[in-house]
Amino acid sequence: MPDHDPDHDHHERTVKPMVDEITDFEVLEIALRELCIEKGLFTAEQHRIMTEYAEQIGPTPAARLVARAWLDPEFRGLALRDPMAASKEVGVDWLDPTGFGTPSDFAAFKILEDTPTVHHVIVCALCSCYPRPILGNSPEWYRTPNYRRRIVRWPRPVLAEFGLELPEDVEVRVQDSNQKHRFMVMPLRPAGTEGWTEEQLAEIITRDSLIGVALPRPGVTTNVTTRTSPARRPVAE
Amino acid sequence: MSTAADREKQLALVSRLKATYPEIPEWPTPTMMTSEHYWAYLKTNHDQGAQLSVAEPFLEKQEEQWELMTYVLCEALGWSGIWVSEERRRIGNVDVGLPIYLGLPYYARWLWAVGKALLEKNYITWAELTDRLTEVQERYADGLSGRRPEAQPKFEGDGSGVARNRNHIEAAGKGDPAMYSGQAGPPKFAVGDRVTVRQLPAMFYTRTPEYVRGARGVIAEVSYESPAPEDETWGREDVKPEWFYIVRFKQSELWDSYAGHRDDALQTEIPERWLHGTG
Repeated sequence: MPDHDPDHDHHERTVKPMVDEITDFEVLEIALRELCIEKGLFTAEQHRIMTEYAEQIGPTPAARLVARAWLDPEFRGLALRDPMAASKEVGVDWLDPTGFGTPSDFAAFKILEDTPTVHHVIVCALCSCYPRPILGNSPEWYRTPNYRRRIVRWPRPVLAEFGLELPEDVEVRVQDSNQKHRFMVMPLRPAGTEGWTEEQLAEIITRDSLIGVALPRPGVTTNVTTRTSPARRPVAE
Repeated sequence: MSTAADREKQLALVSRLKATYPEIPEWPTPTMMTSEHYWAYLKTNHDQGAQLSVAEPFLEKQEEQWELMTYVLCEALGWSGIWVSEERRRIGNVDVGLPIYLGLPYYARWLWAVGKALLEKNYITWAELTDRLTEVQERYADGLSGRRPEAQPKFEGDGSGVARNRNHIEAAGKGDPAMYSGQAGPPKFAVGDRVTVRQLPAMFYTRTPEYVRGARGVIAEVSYESPAPEDETWGREDVKPEWFYIVRFKQSELWDSYAGHRDDALQTEIPERWLHGTG
């Protein structure tokens, strides 16, 4: 914000998380939200409900869905045939919280089933379309031009950067999620998980394996990339 | 106030930003411009797929509270029928121009889209926005001292006279795109049909990526009926829905230089207007 304090370099202020000043982003978000409520564009109640919804989404139901599909062939059939009905079984209603879904993610969900000869990976080369209602918010790298430019054209080298090298006889199938469908990968159940419970299986079904940049492996419960750049005022846990 | 030195420093910063092709000067005459360069400038800048790029580390990032609140703000506006998300995507991902597209944080562009949409649709005035920005800035002039900034609306407005779209009413209980089911007539293509993506002179907005335009593929799925994003992005509600298809392309046919397996494939979703049959 210009026109405020001549002794400060305001443009460094937004990049250096050093001082405890309000940022230009926070000022704009608050100003717009206040104006929207005062003009009656939406109600404070709608804003509160949407906030509560956004705070609780995450990858847990997606992992449960896949774990159950691995154990129950009937449920697997439902997940592939009617993925939104299968989502309900793990507690995700794609019409929440508005009665018609989240406006940015629509209500058209499709699960891409990996086979021994086909491996899927998802991207939105245009923005960052992602199945938020069942997988939570997308990771930062998924939104970057780096991932979006390269995965559609050089999928094998990019997957290798995630540590995933697929055999020559496995087809890599990139799904560019560029319209109203939201996609998620159903990876293959790995060897060494015989006799595991749904809870045990869900633990190794990482978010990255549902995007398709990793494969579930016994003993691996974290995403590939763990380097995280900190926020100045992070979302309250 | 600012000093003369402040003003010079900021102008020097702005002048360092480059947004033109190096082979064409800024502010070219019409004769300096080839058709290729013209269309390269006009390309919708959200269409990043397949552009050349060096490998960079893949990083996670903590979400800022304002980023979550920005997402909520955008969705609240969709819920209440002020816009559909395709309007947001055009305003925040395309209309911004390339320097802002690549230069600002991701959610900063969502926020930009809110401000721009509210002004363009005459919900707020420039002065209302500017006065409120100044007011919020001054509210926290002494720093936050560990507090989180809070929105403090002065009152809750009466929304009964506010102009709203039909989408948020007609989608209720069905969802978008199921709300358009049965409105497009019979689909022109079936699973397995060979199609070619048309090379339309797509100005201003499209979601059909440039990297498949002119390419041949196969219908992998008949998806759903919906108005095309090329119409939804302008808030049009008087257009006929059309069929969308998931189209599968062979990577080895998409790229001259593809080095992966010969069966590697790419799928993307395309509205019917962009496709024609290939015998």
